[in-house]
Amino acid sequence: MPTPSIEVDRLTKRYGGRPVVQDLSFTVNAGEVYALVGPNGAGKTTVIRLVAGLAFPTEGTVRMLGVNPHGDPGVRRKLGAVVEAPAAFYPYLTGRGNLRLHGRLAGGVADQRIQEVLDMMELGNAAERRVGVYSLGMRQRLGVAAAMLTRPEVLILDEPASGMDPLSLHLVHAVLREAASTGTAVLLSTHHLDEVVAYCTRVAILEEGRLIDEVNLLDRRERYRVTVDEPHRARALLDTQPWIRHAAVRGQDVVFIPVEQGAVGRVTGLLAENELSVLELTRDIFDLRGYYRERIASDRPTHSGVRPPDVGDRA
Amino acid sequence: MKSLLSMEFGKVLRLGSVRFSLVLLVLFPVLWAYAPGIYKVYDFYLVSAFQVPALSLLSSMQFLLPLLVAISAAELLGVEIANGTLQTVLLRPVSRSQWLLSKLLVVTVYPFAILAVFLVVSLLAGAPYGYGSFVGGTGLGQAGLLGQGTMGAGQAFVEVLRAYLVAGYSLVPVALLSMLLTVVFMNAAGGALATLSVLIFMQLLVVFPSLTPYLLTTQLNAYAKPVSNLGWVAALIAVYAAAFAAASVVLFERKDF
Repeated sequence: MPTPSIEVDRLTKRYGGRPVVQDLSFTVNAGEVYALVGPNGAGKTTVIRLVAGLAFPTEGTVRMLGVNPHGDPGVRRKLGAVVEAPAAFYPYLTGRGNLRLHGRLAGGVADQRIQEVLDMMELGNAAERRVGVYSLGMRQRLGVAAAMLTRPEVLILDEPASGMDPLSLHLVHAVLREAASTGTAVLLSTHHLDEVVAYCTRVAILEEGRLIDEVNLLDRRERYRVTVDEPHRARALLDTQPWIRHAAVRGQDVVFIPVEQGAVGRVTGLLAENELSVLELTRDIFDLRGYYRERIASDRPTHSGVRPPDVGDRA
Repeated sequence: MKSLLSMEFGKVLRLGSVRFSLVLLVLFPVLWAYAPGIYKVYDFYLVSAFQVPALSLLSSMQFLLPLLVAISAAELLGVEIANGTLQTVLLRPVSRSQWLLSKLLVVTVYPFAILAVFLVVSLLAGAPYGYGSFVGGTGLGQAGLLGQGTMGAGQAFVEVLRAYLVAGYSLVPVALLSMLLTVVFMNAAGGALATLSVLIFMQLLVVFPSLTPYLLTTQLNAYAKPVSNLGWVAALIAVYAAAFAAASVVLFERKDF
């Protein structure tokens, strides 16, 4: 089994005796996009800083590409990270100047690569402007550009979508998806739950520094729902097909996971051949926001009037 | 390290406190050179351009110069903390101690740099009094401003230069203390004010005569000491500087950001 790109084991961080992160364990593999979600104060940023090597664990270990990031700063050659929102740059330097400086600190990056990441984040026209006059969203995009500068094997981003307009948000998501598809492990914290569902592989729900749930979104995203007149017969039929991994009845519907996406098209034909009426076939979109609210609410002590957090409403 | 150093030296002139210091250090000697009340207050007339650097140094070494050095040293690190660029840099393959050492080196050079400016401006401000031989002293040698007969221009220049170099050297621990306290408080204002407090506190310790020779504030007057007495002073200043620098690195290595 390959070594995970990020390995967090029983991580605990206390400030002045107060635990901010408690006994947290998770891994992020190459090609995965792993999201940390949770209400404000849940410990997401602290986890990001611990993993990036900016803060020291009180207990437990963090390993990045198999090594301790504190013990071996050289591993940061393979890291791209933004841990500030908005991303921090020298305001008196231009966008390009800041990226050049990042390149020098990283051991040297060609001017051509700097231009590539500027173009990738649609900052080519603003490259010669001082960062001090950049908008919040432009700074965030420059932050992602800086993180991508060295074609990192590990990307760590704290609230990358903060302050971004929808188009910029879409751009950042596309860049992260592309990075993951080329084998980069991405760890991010976010409040944008809808986007998490769209492109993250797994999501960890944090509450008061603890991991209260980890959801594999890859499985959830590949689910489909077919509405039929006889759901139990349809389920039995689908369950016997080698190209269906799993099928279950949910009310009037049958929810199924195909072995591969091409198998979805064969479902209507199969059901029709067996004289079952298909009323609707659609992707079964996972309601992470609802799930998240339920999980947080069930984790908190019951108090009358206490409302689950509205983290997802910000998205 | 070379790359880090050139980066850090490049940042110095962009610091607000450095620009402010430069304005003060240009104005100050000019005011001294043309102050109408010098004779009334000090019972003394300026007779040579080589006496202006002494007036500049004598009147600023106890408070103004340590304060300016402390503020700029604190700002060099504090501005990175405030802007968040500290984290940005530490996420790159740069060791914490290397990065801080480059800053420590910059603040070590800084007192010499501002004193060089101070000296040049002081000498220029004294131009109307002439740069030739004169009867009197520079104010920075054993004979004070009154001197012992005629003093040659070369001798006067060497005396002034020596005093400014010693003054720069004695300000180095102040800069390093300011950097240490900025690491402790993680902000520029906290670091600079704490440095000032420590210096004021040390000045009050003169009521313990056995401690006085060892105090950092006592060493701020080293520029007026004869060369033969400087060995011990130089060693003590070096100990202070090394202790402050080492403590800064140790603390910085263990800080959470």
